[in-house]
Amino acid sequence: MLPILHIGPLAIQTPGLILMLGLWFGLLLSEKIARIEQKVDPNSIYNLALVALIAGLVGARLFYAALSPDIFIKEPLNLLSLNTAMLDVSGGLITSGIASLVYAQKHKLSLWPTLDTFTPFFCVMAIAIGLAHFASGDAFGAPARLPWSIYLWGEYRHPTQLYETLLALVVAILVWPRQRNSMITGLRFLTFVILTASGRILLETFRGDSTLIFGSLRAAQVAAWGALAFGLSLIGTRLKQAQAMTIKEEST
Amino acid sequence: MKVTTVSFRWIQALILVLSAAWIAFTTMVTKPSELGKNPAPRQGFPAPEFTLNSLAGDPIRVEDFRGQVVVLNFWASWCPPCKAEMPAFEALQQAYHGEHVVILAINTTYQDDLAAATKFVADNQLSFPILMDKDGKVTDRYQVLAMPSSFFIDRKGVIQQVIIGGPMSEALIQTQVRRLLQEAP
Repeated sequence: MLPILHIGPLAIQTPGLILMLGLWFGLLLSEKIARIEQKVDPNSIYNLALVALIAGLVGARLFYAALSPDIFIKEPLNLLSLNTAMLDVSGGLITSGIASLVYAQKHKLSLWPTLDTFTPFFCVMAIAIGLAHFASGDAFGAPARLPWSIYLWGEYRHPTQLYETLLALVVAILVWPRQRNSMITGLRFLTFVILTASGRILLETFRGDSTLIFGSLRAAQVAAWGALAFGLSLIGTRLKQAQAMTIKEEST
Repeated sequence: MKVTTVSFRWIQALILVLSAAWIAFTTMVTKPSELGKNPAPRQGFPAPEFTLNSLAGDPIRVEDFRGQVVVLNFWASWCPPCKAEMPAFEALQQAYHGEHVVILAINTTYQDDLAAATKFVADNQLSFPILMDKDGKVTDRYQVLAMPSSFFIDRKGVIQQVIIGGPMSEALIQTQVRRLLQEAP
């Protein structure tokens, strides 16, 4: 665990640094794959990411301000504060998603090729999130006395942050090279979704900070199961569409 | 191709049934609702207990404030962002005086100049308790790695937010406190 990196008088938050590096490297990979495959304009990769990032930050701040509008109306300069604690993550994700959709519509980016092109970025970010959790001590494991347990927050625990990083690495290895030349667009992204959801169902079992619903069900497992079902049904649809296309091509 | 689609349907059903069974089985075996938490200086954990003397020499126990929202702020007089956010804490103290909100500013005296810290408190007319961590044990227990560090503790004594670095604005402090005040005691 290394939440703060001290460099001279500077105290840098390590998780943030890891996520920034992941963002940079992931976008670099996605842009590279866009150049190789020529399915999506490589320039649109950075533009879309920039739009999503700016919209996400603005949205996160506005959603946070909506919690106490009177305070922010009294002192509107707080809206420009650099403090990252004043961000509402879910609000940021909503606005970022909407802005990405609007950008994609406006620039006529096709859904599946774009998601496929961004899959290396998602893979790298999943690894970076695992490492960031390890640096901060977040997403910690349930208490366990195992040879590989780590001492964290007053107890020996499952090193779930390392499990998470390893799983993300395995998903990246499975998804990326094998599907590179797939004829079915969207398959690379959907494979990433179902593997990540399956991994989360497994991983959540060992977490010590799960949010519970209906008494003792882990919310993340239920959500991941939903994502798995949705991803599998979309793969089924894409397979059927590919089958129909093949039959059509054969008949002509 | 037809066979592939049919096989896929079976594979899909098998994966979903197996994963649902895994969720049900592991929920029964691991009993996540029974996982207790030891006190630790992070979000979601009970705040570690401590007793420190105030600047006036009175012993103050953090657990005596159970039922109230507590803001713990670790500071030092040599730290410019710590000093910059003190007026925001004083504004909070004035705005929420008598409303189940307690600010405890813990001076890291073991690495600070006591005279400078005392002068800063007097010059800024800080009216909330200033606690003196003379041996650094409380700072160590809260694993404070950077100054300032603040802990927002709810009425049940559970840490709900940790903010490392500063200065925090009045808007941030008040939004956090207001959120915790809205929760049931």
